[in-house]
Amino acid sequence: MDYTKFRLKPEQEIISVLKDKQNIVVLNCTKCFKEQDMNDQNECGELVPLLKKNNKKIIECIEIDFLCNRHQTEKLITKRTELIKDDITVIIYSCGFGIQAVTEIINKFSPKCEIYTVADTIPQDGHHGMALSIEKCDSCADCVLTYTGGICPVVNCSKGLLNGPCGGAKNGKCEISSDKDCAWEKIYNRLNSIGKIELGKQFFKIRKYSKPDYKTINNYNITIYEKRLQNFFGGVYPDENKEQTRNKQIIQFSIPKIVVLPLSQHTGAICEPLVKIGDKVYTGQKIGDIQSFISAPIHSPVTGKVVAIEPRKHPLIKKDVLSVVIESDNIDEYDVSVVPNNEWESLTKEELLNIIREKGIVGLGGAQFPTHVKLKSPKPIDTLVINGCECEPYLNSDYRIMVERPYSVIFGTLILMKILNVTKSYISIEDNKKEAIEIIKQKLDEFTNTNIEVIELKTKYPQGAERMLIKKLLGREIPIGGLPLDVGVVVNNVGTVSAVYDAVIKGLPLIRRVVTVTGENCINPGNYEIRLGTPIENVIDYCFGSEYKENNNKFILKMGGPMMGVEISGFDMPIIKGTTGLILLSKPDIEINLQRKCIKCGRCVDVCPMELFPLYFGLFTENKQYSEAEKYNVLSCIECGCCDYVCPSKRALVQSVKEIKKNLSVSKK
Amino acid sequence: MLITEIKPKEEFDIVLKDNLIIIICKGCKEIYLPVVDINNLINELKEKKIKFDTINVDYLCNHEYTKLRTINLKEKIDNADNILVFSCGVGVQVVSSYINKHVVAGCNTLYIHGFQGLTPFIINCEQCGQCFLNYTGGLCPITACSKSLLNGPCGGAKNGKCEIDPEKECGWEKIIDRLQKKNQIELLQIYQNPRKYSLK
Repeated sequence: MDYTKFRLKPEQEIISVLKDKQNIVVLNCTKCFKEQDMNDQNECGELVPLLKKNNKKIIECIEIDFLCNRHQTEKLITKRTELIKDDITVIIYSCGFGIQAVTEIINKFSPKCEIYTVADTIPQDGHHGMALSIEKCDSCADCVLTYTGGICPVVNCSKGLLNGPCGGAKNGKCEISSDKDCAWEKIYNRLNSIGKIELGKQFFKIRKYSKPDYKTINNYNITIYEKRLQNFFGGVYPDENKEQTRNKQIIQFSIPKIVVLPLSQHTGAICEPLVKIGDKVYTGQKIGDIQSFISAPIHSPVTGKVVAIEPRKHPLIKKDVLSVVIESDNIDEYDVSVVPNNEWESLTKEELLNIIREKGIVGLGGAQFPTHVKLKSPKPIDTLVINGCECEPYLNSDYRIMVERPYSVIFGTLILMKILNVTKSYISIEDNKKEAIEIIKQKLDEFTNTNIEVIELKTKYPQGAERMLIKKLLGREIPIGGLPLDVGVVVNNVGTVSAVYDAVIKGLPLIRRVVTVTGENCINPGNYEIRLGTPIENVIDYCFGSEYKENNNKFILKMGGPMMGVEISGFDMPIIKGTTGLILLSKPDIEINLQRKCIKCGRCVDVCPMELFPLYFGLFTENKQYSEAEKYNVLSCIECGCCDYVCPSKRALVQSVKEIKKNLSVSKK
Repeated sequence: MLITEIKPKEEFDIVLKDNLIIIICKGCKEIYLPVVDINNLINELKEKKIKFDTINVDYLCNHEYTKLRTINLKEKIDNADNILVFSCGVGVQVVSSYINKHVVAGCNTLYIHGFQGLTPFIINCEQCGQCFLNYTGGLCPITACSKSLLNGPCGGAKNGKCEIDPEKECGWEKIIDRLQKKNQIELLQIYQNPRKYSLK
């Protein structure tokens, strides 16, 4: 099945239109709604020989996917303004949507440029769905399928009759063509087979051809488009599902008997253990560190005895990592190094940075990047952004921190502003967290001359990604492969900022974090402050009961949110610094799989916030052409999962991106 | 990605009784399905204590998924008296082809000519099969003109606005402006034969 939208016009028509045109640039849409194929890269195939035969000079043939996607096409065409000049004839080989979109774009910078098309749009009876299935819908706005056994007479009957057959069919074939089945005969048979023949007695009046008009539809379309462009291009609006834990106060989770602390809970070098088996450790005592710039030390979250130092399963890295195992003795006695300090303002920038490093602070939004490294930017920084978007569905840990600990967030921000020596900072919060916005604003009013501004953003996923946030807030675009510091910005998560406050003012190292536990069959959903190293099993037992463990094949347990979270396959792994949530989701009834063919619907391009073409990453992974993917900027993919979320063919696009990145980094080494 | 609206309730009122299965297709995520109306209906059924089951699916139009789902849910479907489907017309047809039962459509698919799959910024192609854009400066007279005239304006426009709606711009005035800017006004002298409606 193929729902290609256009075909070449008759040769005479093309020649007569291009009579005295010489220098030609061809803009070619690579077609949609057909199975993606490695070989369809060269669609100009039929057009180029025809033009050459008629002595036309083709300057260049530009192939663009989904010409009708105005945002992407505009970006690609305006890169070629030096080519498309007034004395050039542009030929567009696309459907009517593409032609008109391109004409608008070219008119903006080269209004005299002559633009022609060589394609006719292929007329269709009715519209197909998001699959290459034969059923079509004429969108008549008056569905009769209830009475016709689910076979549409509007599309399938040549005459579009609503009240039974015309009488012209012979042997089940329509009188207009012997290839065509009589739709009404099929309807009659279907109704008979389901025993509902009396439905045929329903009388239909004449169809209302008048409703609704173009204006209504265009307005519909414009709202869709505005949503797509809201804040940044692309993105999706998944069900939030935050209600279950939104109003649950942060509760201290009980201290476990055993904690397992992987020595890598951060981006960068793995720590070396500073303790031996049998050593007594106190809460907050440093137990792992390494002299490397990009790294962060690990502290004991409990008081007790080291019982093992051995490789254990790591929840994110998916392999064994050297871990310190401590048996708690139920007395929570703090180490001598945990000393509160209320006079942080008298500390110098270097002293503050040193505290943040020594207390093991890393990015708590999930990326686990050491915070002290982020703050020692080699480039000038002028703005600090505190990220309170929490755009992932289900999660509420950042929200609860903002609501319950607004002073931690504000003082943490002030500390970071002092370190970075910036005068302006923003706390960005999505508009589905009104309470947090109000509380932070209210508390900020108590301060004078802080220059911290709360920004309310419209909710959209993945708003919390640094790039999207900076683009929306400051209008700055991070270059491909770059970091926020390239545009003079440091972004920190709300949780991180609160941990900075704990470290500097309370002297508390990063030994616990707020984790949202929620999802299907959750008996005790909530926001828990859990000691790092607590086995996931303890949390599961308390929050989901033992029933889940018996039926776990029906569910997926994710560490993090449902969009970007990592699937957890065992219960013996610990909570680590980057655990924002533990979410239990029903397994999808149809699993995503790269085996299915891409139908080139273009939806992944519509939603990709990085403005990439994710459909190609699937194709290149299938064909193991990893280096090809680099041309499509695979390295700037942020793996937000929007493409997986919308893909009607349920292809594993994010997984293929990960595979490409892995192979590229191997081949570079 | 067809846009749907919920049918008037009297059209599926008779199936709103015990042993009902409601299938909701949330494939074309975002705003193409009247989710609010459907949720209101479901809440209403719950209040009336009607026994029903909701099955949330995506991309009903895809045969592979729908086939697999009807196999997995065979027992449920066999025991149901009525099946109400909220999806576009394509979804209802595909489901009906796998379920040998009366399937009731809960949505009307809005009349949107020339709109398939992708979401272009504006609906300006009717897929007539004989593109006229070469002669009209890249503005489609079939969609831009209320009367879909091919050989110039009707004469009913006032101050550049169409006579059917003072908010609508006259498509032909836009075409003429565009052609003048491009120095291609002589293209209007080419006579366009009546459209071949038979192509459709």
